[in-house]
Amino acid sequence: MNQNRGIFAGLAVLVVLAFGPAIGGRMNIDTSFLAEVLLTAIAAMGVNLLLGYTGLPIFGNAALFGLGAYGAGLSIKNWHVGFLVSILLGIAAALVGALIIAPFLLRRRNIYFGLLSLAFGQVFYFIAYRYSDLTGGEDGMSFARPPLNLGPIHGTVSDTLMYYVTYALFVVATVAFWLIVRSPFGRTLVAIKQNELRVRYLGLNADRFILVGILIAAVYAGLAGALYGLLLRFAFPLLLDWHQSGNFILMTMLGGAGTIFGPLVGAIIFVIGKDVISTITPAWEIVLGAFFIACVLGFPKGILGSIGAALNRGRAEPEEELVPAVAIDQARAKIQSDSVQ
Amino acid sequence: MSDALLIADAVSKKFGGVQAVDRVSIEVASGSIHAVIGPNGAGKTTFFNTLSGFFFPDSGTVWFDGVDITNETNWRRIKRGMSRTFQTPSIFPELSVYENLLIGTQAKRGVAFRLNSPSAKARGEIDARVDELLGFVGLAAAKSRTVSELSHGSQRLVEIAMSLSTEPKLVLLDEPMAGLAEAETDRVIAVIRDLHERLGLTVVFVEHNMRVVLSLAHRITVLDRGRLLAEGTPAEIAADEAVRDAYLGKEVIDHV
Repeated sequence: MNQNRGIFAGLAVLVVLAFGPAIGGRMNIDTSFLAEVLLTAIAAMGVNLLLGYTGLPIFGNAALFGLGAYGAGLSIKNWHVGFLVSILLGIAAALVGALIIAPFLLRRRNIYFGLLSLAFGQVFYFIAYRYSDLTGGEDGMSFARPPLNLGPIHGTVSDTLMYYVTYALFVVATVAFWLIVRSPFGRTLVAIKQNELRVRYLGLNADRFILVGILIAAVYAGLAGALYGLLLRFAFPLLLDWHQSGNFILMTMLGGAGTIFGPLVGAIIFVIGKDVISTITPAWEIVLGAFFIACVLGFPKGILGSIGAALNRGRAEPEEELVPAVAIDQARAKIQSDSVQ
Repeated sequence: MSDALLIADAVSKKFGGVQAVDRVSIEVASGSIHAVIGPNGAGKTTFFNTLSGFFFPDSGTVWFDGVDITNETNWRRIKRGMSRTFQTPSIFPELSVYENLLIGTQAKRGVAFRLNSPSAKARGEIDARVDELLGFVGLAAAKSRTVSELSHGSQRLVEIAMSLSTEPKLVLLDEPMAGLAEAETDRVIAVIRDLHERLGLTVVFVEHNMRVVLSLAHRITVLDRGRLLAEGTPAEIAADEAVRDAYLGKEVIDHV
């Protein structure tokens, strides 16, 4: 019942987003901002898998996001690849980055995992910043948005088409996320968050699960980064900076870590909030900051997490505890008859 | 030696300057209940941890099911058919009782690593197995409850059921009665006895409560200050002079 309600709410969100450019147009929100919301939400979903579901504070995810943007941009500039191939190569770049840092991250947990991921992220940031022959250094690197050739669609990619490509990939990413967190793998990640030692004492190599979790987060970050690069036609070192990683964490916590649509809610507030408030006052960061403080105090589990908890509180299960001895005896009798067979 | 499921030979473990376990050996016959007892600080839990791979001994050897597992990592030991509980129940506190048992059950069936849902048939089998485990510890009615809401004794039973979810041959129980009320103790004693009698499992447990030890154990290993003090049947241990001096109170001996 509860699950069906969640699925309907999710479908409703996806349907509304299909009309994003039309709705945004009425509210004077640029279509490219809406695309930014969705791709930011994709990256935050990856953070959510590690932070919200597995309990691992990944503070360097922006490095993988930036690798996605540079991977797409460099492959367009140097190899003149097409639109979709550039996205795939952006994802590949993020995966390579994740494979380099994962063996080190797997050796640490909790705050040390966070600090190590932050430090590695900054290494990638400085490489993008310093290795200017390849990356353009501080000035960044501009590149063309290649034409898209996919079935009936082929030609240059307008901002509206860019939104719909991002939307389609967001839907795929969301459905995949939903399936993953419901799968045995996803449930094991949640168990690792609860008690990694017990997971090991159930005969499972927790490291292997965490490694795959990191790689999945890298796919999400790389996809989002490639889309961002294609949206801006530009990649720059600050995409990899820890400040950007902090933004992903902030929006995940704000929307609700450990919920499917929490990152989207956080990304909407973050990206649109930044856009709207900055037109009103140059001190937009103060206003947004005050809003975050209010949210954290009012919704400790994030907006969606707190709403979910409130809905569940309404139908708490009746108090009952001690199981009658009769039930135990019946169970034993059954087990005995089973073992006799 | 032939039918011993678990053998530890001259296992030692040092922490800083403290020799917590000093050349302790144990041989656990397949299908038996074996207790490890001793006063506080005797090294029982440290010894237990070398058996279960919580950490590795400095020297000595541990065999399980005929294989040297001395330096084998914990999750591999579980896959071989070992399982354990901890003094403080090691559970998934914010998950339901069902989910607590699900993780090990799907791990045993080799589907834990799947990124898509198993078939309806496989899920049905897993759910049936979870129900069976819940029935065994008498917690069927608490299936959908969050584990942290349950009493300490029920959490202990959930943990025992979790340790059974991997279908072990050997169950290691570290002070299974720690922190339990009298009525809860009786429930857990009944369940441990069933591990042996109904499921035919081998059980090794560390315990302070002499009533529990004497009513359950077939053999007892007594540790004192990291060393093996005595080993034998409950009657032999109760009659042992050295054990009397080091550990046992007179009333316990009289009880036997």
